[in-house]
Amino acid sequence: MSSEYLPYAVDADSPMKESELAVLRRQFESEGAYVGVQTKFNYAWGLIKSEKRLDQQLGVRYLTEIFKQYPERRRECVYYLALGNYKLGNYSEARRYNELLLDKEPANLQARSLQQLIDDKVTKEGMLGVAIVSGVTLVTGVVAAALWKGLQRKR
Amino acid sequence: MGTNSRDLQAFRQTVTATAGSLISPFADGNLPSSYHNAMTDITRELRKPTLQQKLFTFNSKTPSELVRSKLSTQEIRYRAVTFLPDEVLHDIPDAENTYSLFQGFQASLPEPETKKKGKKGPKAITDSNGSSSEVDEPETMTGLESDRAKLTHRLEMLGIRKNMASSEIRDIDMKIANLNAMRNIVLNRLASLEEEESQTEHEIVEVDNKIEDLRYDMAEGLVPGNMTDTGSDGSTPSGDNTFMSDSIYKKLPSPKSRKHRPYKRISMPILHEHFEPGTNIKELQTHNDSITALDFDVPFGTLVTAAFDDTVRVWDLNNGRCLGLLEGHNASVRCLQVEDNFVATGSMDATVRIWDLSRAEHYRAGESEENANDHVNLSDCGVHTLEAHVAEITALHFQGDTLISGSADKTLRQWDLQAGRCVQTLDVLWAAAQNSMVPSSDTSRWGASTGRGGDSKADFIGAVQCFDAALACGTADGMVRLWDLRSGQVHRSLVGHTGPVTCLQFDDVHLVTGSLDRSIRIWDLRTGSIFDVYGYENPVTAMQFDARRIVSAAGQNVVKIYDKTDGRHWDCGAGVNEGKGAVVEKVRIQDGYLVEGRKDGVVGVWAC
Repeated sequence: MSSEYLPYAVDADSPMKESELAVLRRQFESEGAYVGVQTKFNYAWGLIKSEKRLDQQLGVRYLTEIFKQYPERRRECVYYLALGNYKLGNYSEARRYNELLLDKEPANLQARSLQQLIDDKVTKEGMLGVAIVSGVTLVTGVVAAALWKGLQRKR
Repeated sequence: MGTNSRDLQAFRQTVTATAGSLISPFADGNLPSSYHNAMTDITRELRKPTLQQKLFTFNSKTPSELVRSKLSTQEIRYRAVTFLPDEVLHDIPDAENTYSLFQGFQASLPEPETKKKGKKGPKAITDSNGSSSEVDEPETMTGLESDRAKLTHRLEMLGIRKNMASSEIRDIDMKIANLNAMRNIVLNRLASLEEEESQTEHEIVEVDNKIEDLRYDMAEGLVPGNMTDTGSDGSTPSGDNTFMSDSIYKKLPSPKSRKHRPYKRISMPILHEHFEPGTNIKELQTHNDSITALDFDVPFGTLVTAAFDDTVRVWDLNNGRCLGLLEGHNASVRCLQVEDNFVATGSMDATVRIWDLSRAEHYRAGESEENANDHVNLSDCGVHTLEAHVAEITALHFQGDTLISGSADKTLRQWDLQAGRCVQTLDVLWAAAQNSMVPSSDTSRWGASTGRGGDSKADFIGAVQCFDAALACGTADGMVRLWDLRSGQVHRSLVGHTGPVTCLQFDDVHLVTGSLDRSIRIWDLRTGSIFDVYGYENPVTAMQFDARRIVSAAGQNVVKIYDKTDGRHWDCGAGVNEGKGAVVEKVRIQDGYLVEGRKDGVVGVWAC
């Protein structure tokens, strides 16, 4: 049950075909204002799986709406919100949601693996940030040194 | 190619971002697919020393995130829209769902293999059945097993789909309940609006009348002193009230007959159209005796009832109050019709009286006062008294200035309402003799009809209706005769009913008749043939139809309704669901607004 219950992050990285997404969109639009939760979710999930950033954002938006509208679906939704935000690169948001879910379901495999992924990304970016900062310092240092030398030479 | 586009994509996404995101796509750019990307993420994760991780996890935001969230307006807007405050976020109820959203998602994806499976299924079964191929057994086993797994999966998916459908239905039910609740709220609002509307209209009429009176007085020069007073004092025109307070002034019985504007509703009430069919709108105890006739002008308008207690009462259907009595007949009224302000009543005293309700001084204006109206005599409404018949009036109908009355003296009379004179007399017996080939059988026919009924109740002329020069009358011999008023001749007789005709109505296509023979017949006016027939358990005493329904009273405590549009028969009235109520005698309908009068003098108003 639990293994089938939620998709892994990997699933979110495999985009759907444009035609498939179009089917979901058509279904979503055809139901109008009284759209059912499943239809809305299907479209939102399809959007999150997409590679386009705008689609992903829209997907997260719909998920937020589902979260607000259907309290009985909130527990699931938190995971998708975490996943969506992870894909968007909003790691702090992703972590906020995911930690909430882990709080409720410490044994949730999907949430745990997502946690790892988020940590990894944050670490990588953090490393790069340090690298950049140090690189920039180095360059400025070199330039300053060069300037300094030049100035000295002029003198 | 796929990787290239993905790289470009990723590149475009992170132009605004820091070098961190710029470099990452190149780092795993050589990997073939996104799927592998994620997989490597996981495997790398496992190899990574935890110290390195811990070093940076205290950062709440990565550099790229920081830059994005602070710089791009689109990102900021997105964040505002998707932000969930903590109190909402932590409010997660423990709800049991029969399926997860993801399972629902999977189940709603189309299955490309379904057809293949469908083909395989029967084949596999034949394989298992065909025991001839013993050699292929091991291969078939594995095949069957994979088939079984697939089928199990499919069964699971089917279960999920089933759950989805059922929960969707529950969802819709909830929405319907919500919508119904909303509808009720709006319906109540509509009801109060209509009430207010009618009150306002009455006020307008009152004010109009006052204006008219004042103008009349001024023209007559009856209040010159007041006029000069207002002129010299410069006081407001209402200053003439100092002479006499407004309320007293209003109550003054004016000796001269002032011409008040005839009251006519400006707005159309539509409330009853939104009620559930069969909803009771009102119930009035009008008389203490059996209702003999009733009619109303418009939905929520004016109702006139007559009963065996020899009184004729006028009612306001809006508030259910009695507006007064129409007094003048010496015996009980057997038939009546209301059209605008005009009422025609036919009585057992052999006279027909025409009333104009707008002539009543107290009509409408007195409404705001107490229930004292119960005994208000509206006899000053009388316009004409039509006296010529020599026996009781059993049926009448008027349209425009023409009134047709049918009497127990076996004649029909045509009246000119402008002059109040009889312009033509039609002898039904004579016409019957003219049309009949064998006179002897004709007389036996009359005899048979009275014999069959065995009751003196059957009126000789049960119903009439006229339109321009066309006249239809139903008589005790079960015949319906169509007359031409210009020639005074019967031009068609409709034979079919086996008992006295008690009610009839026609429009431009059909003629509908009800009879004591317990049937309702619908005739085609062009061909004169029967279009439809249906029957009840008891004699039909009254019937009327509107655009959609044929309603009839058939000796039960409910009104029988036949819905012409969907061919449905149903009951409406106090007797529905084992309810109690007296037998319905008379029934009228207009635009789905049904009024029925019962044997105990109660009048019920229903929406249908």
